[in-house]
Amino acid sequence: MIDYSALLYDPVYAEIGVPATMDGTAITVIDDTRPKVLAAGSAEVRSVGPGAFVRIPELEANEITRDDWPDALLAFNGRSWLVRSWELRGSPNGEDFGEVRFLLKAVDD
Amino acid sequence: MTDVREDILARLVVVVGTIPGLRSSHRNNVDITEEMLPAAIVFDGDETTVAGNDGSRPSNRPLLVEMTPEIVIAEQSGEVGSDLTTLRRELIKRVLLDTELNARTGSNGKISYVSCQTDVGWMRSLHGALRAQFMFKYTLKPDDL
Repeated sequence: MIDYSALLYDPVYAEIGVPATMDGTAITVIDDTRPKVLAAGSAEVRSVGPGAFVRIPELEANEITRDDWPDALLAFNGRSWLVRSWELRGSPNGEDFGEVRFLLKAVDD
Repeated sequence: MTDVREDILARLVVVVGTIPGLRSSHRNNVDITEEMLPAAIVFDGDETTVAGNDGSRPSNRPLLVEMTPEIVIAEQSGEVGSDLTTLRRELIKRVLLDTELNARTGSNGKISYVSCQTDVGWMRSLHGALRAQFMFKYTLKPDDL
């Protein structure tokens, strides 16, 4: 079985990952902040939906468990966010070797 | 020339612009950015004739009509529910009690609050929008147009 962590995720994170801290613990994330449009009646309101990908094995190696995820403070690329939800992205090696996409919100909320 | 419909819509934009806490107010602007929030947008409303106007001549006789503009209030904050409640309260009060709007509808017209709907979703913060409909009843005088 191909080791997707070693052959896919690690090189990708080495190339486009950025340093981050999650509640003070250093990790690597891929900034996935996207443009977002929501309807307001006939109008459209434009903003961003902040998000970040993180490797599950890296979180586990740093003893960051799923119980720690809600409202965790995630800081990267000069901004700080709170984790409000997440999507698990499994890998062919299994969910525990995949990624999680954290859905974030502004800290001042 | 007197166009009551346009007078009411133009005045509505002024009235919603006085709501405390708003950062911007617009008319028919469908492209809002987060920097404009909280924002209020007045959308020109449908206009229908009131039943009972039909049949008689001449064709230029005055008609009673009803216009139903929609006003959207959009906000983005951690307390968006409470914020929208406050903005709704100020909106309804200011529209229904505005002296100029009431004068535009005339002696046989009226202003009514019809309904409101809300939408929420996540962006940088929690986003919320409130859509409120009002009904303006007034006399359309073709000879004045």
